[in-house]
Amino acid sequence: MMRWRILALAAAALLACAATGNGYIISLLVVIGLQALPAMGLALIAGFTGQISLGHAAFYGLGAYGAALIGRWLGVPAWVDIALSTAMVALLAWAIGWLVFRLKGHYLAMATLAFGIIVQICFTEMHGVTGGQDGLTGIPPLSLFGLTFRSDAAMLAVVWLVAIAAILAAQNLVASPTGLAMRAIAENEVTARSVGNDVQSIKRLIMMVSGAFCALGGGLYAHYIGYLSPGPFDVGFSIKLLLMVAIGGFADVWGVLLGVIFITLIGELLKPLGAYDIVAYGTLLVVSVIYCPNGLLRGMAALVARARRTAIAGSTR
Amino acid sequence: MSDALQFLMSGLVVGSIYGLIGVGFTCIYNVTGIVNFAQGDFAMVGAMSAIALNVAGVPLWLAILLAIVITSVVAVLIERTAIQPVRGDVMRGIIVTIGVGVVLQGLAAIIWGTDAQPMPAFSGEKLIHLLGATVMPQSLWVIGIGILAMGGLDLLFRRTYLGQMFRACAMNPFAARLVGMKVETMSLVGFVMSGALGAIAGIVVAPIALTQYDSGLQLGIKGFVACIVGGFGGPVGAALGGLVLGVLEAFSAGYVSSGYKNAIAFALLLGFLLFRPGGLLGDYDRVRA
Repeated sequence: MMRWRILALAAAALLACAATGNGYIISLLVVIGLQALPAMGLALIAGFTGQISLGHAAFYGLGAYGAALIGRWLGVPAWVDIALSTAMVALLAWAIGWLVFRLKGHYLAMATLAFGIIVQICFTEMHGVTGGQDGLTGIPPLSLFGLTFRSDAAMLAVVWLVAIAAILAAQNLVASPTGLAMRAIAENEVTARSVGNDVQSIKRLIMMVSGAFCALGGGLYAHYIGYLSPGPFDVGFSIKLLLMVAIGGFADVWGVLLGVIFITLIGELLKPLGAYDIVAYGTLLVVSVIYCPNGLLRGMAALVARARRTAIAGSTR
Repeated sequence: MSDALQFLMSGLVVGSIYGLIGVGFTCIYNVTGIVNFAQGDFAMVGAMSAIALNVAGVPLWLAILLAIVITSVVAVLIERTAIQPVRGDVMRGIIVTIGVGVVLQGLAAIIWGTDAQPMPAFSGEKLIHLLGATVMPQSLWVIGIGILAMGGLDLLFRRTYLGQMFRACAMNPFAARLVGMKVETMSLVGFVMSGALGAIAGIVVAPIALTQYDSGLQLGIKGFVACIVGGFGGPVGAALGGLVLGVLEAFSAGYVSSGYKNAIAFALLLGFLLFRPGGLLGDYDRVRA
């Protein structure tokens, strides 16, 4: 029941925002929807399964470049190239998982960071394929059944349909027996293995799903923006995704969506602060990770509950 | 041949810096179990405050000493406010130290501006010719200080009482506490040392490479690579890893392409992580999943 209520709430909020017709708000919502996909992917592997990754921007970027290049080379419609590139990145993610999940903790973080940096350098240096720093231009907008999604409002609908479908899929995955195994791995890997979970293949599977989510977001991003350069897929974006997951409370599907909204809005709100924005951003991050281990939302809720309790205690005295 | 020698020299210089940063990592990691992703920013803070003090009229040697003290104080503040609460939690440790690095970069941009800043060389700019390679005097300072710092630390860890306590806390914090050591104090000492080492690394390299508010991140990542290649643990491993990384980078920039030089460095890291995760000197068991 809870899930449908949240879903209805989310849909109503989206429609309300779209109805304002404000171009800025709509484009912001599209961006949030696009980033929700990789953030959800990262939440599955880092939040629910407890395996940190500092290279998820690479999957997002590979999905984006993959979709654009497949569309260009094969001349297939946009939705086909997104599907193909998502499938390829999913395979790649599985293979990367096979390599990196021999490691844990900081070593895993460094291996995924190295993967992310290598991919980003390749985007910059392979001029013949990716256009290097000049980037890829002229990526056609998304079209489906003869309809072309040129406007932001049309993209808003497509992106959020995909994002909500992905969120529901993630929720189902987490509630499934595999989801229980994921949480068991996050809690204690040895115990998870001792009760018969094939820990490594579960990690690889989740990495694959996670990579697919990122690539899907990347493919949509490519066809929405119409221009790709290596910049947006750097380590900074990987870190930003991790922040979204952390603010959202790591293992909390809807919380992660709130994390995406929060980080995006904070980025916009802090802009007028000039040079101070990055300081505020970093401080917020440190404080929320230290004092709200279950995410900002639950941290706030706990604070409110505590305040109410003390208020009641005060009034009955 | 003289090309190769030139690359070797510049590789050794860069490698010494990576080694110095890398050993700063181990000082913190050994006691707190946290990899400090803001380590490179210590180097930036050290270099920037030395430059600022020097520009303000403080003599160079005093500016350098003060900068090292300032950076150590910053490191202590960070340890008390941000690291203590998350000690031992890998994922939150990583995120918190990344956040601390972001704050340091932001503060540096506010205090010192976003322009890259030069620093005067310690002993002039006159080039030295050595076996067909050309060397800046500052390069010799870098290598010399690198050797001194590593050697000194190695002695400190192996020969002094403080070093033994330090190693005890690293090996088994619980047992160390049982016999009456204050692990928290050791953690503070680790941060002071790593702040000072980071500042030294940043300051000695500042006359060669310009410093700006965001130079820290790259340095930090490379320092960590040096640690892994050398085997996480002691100053000797970090120094060795730094030299291997620096020389490899210089040669691949010289013979392959400067654009791919970082990719090659990280491919080396991946290779080590996957096939010899214990590094050149370390053991394998503690990193295995």
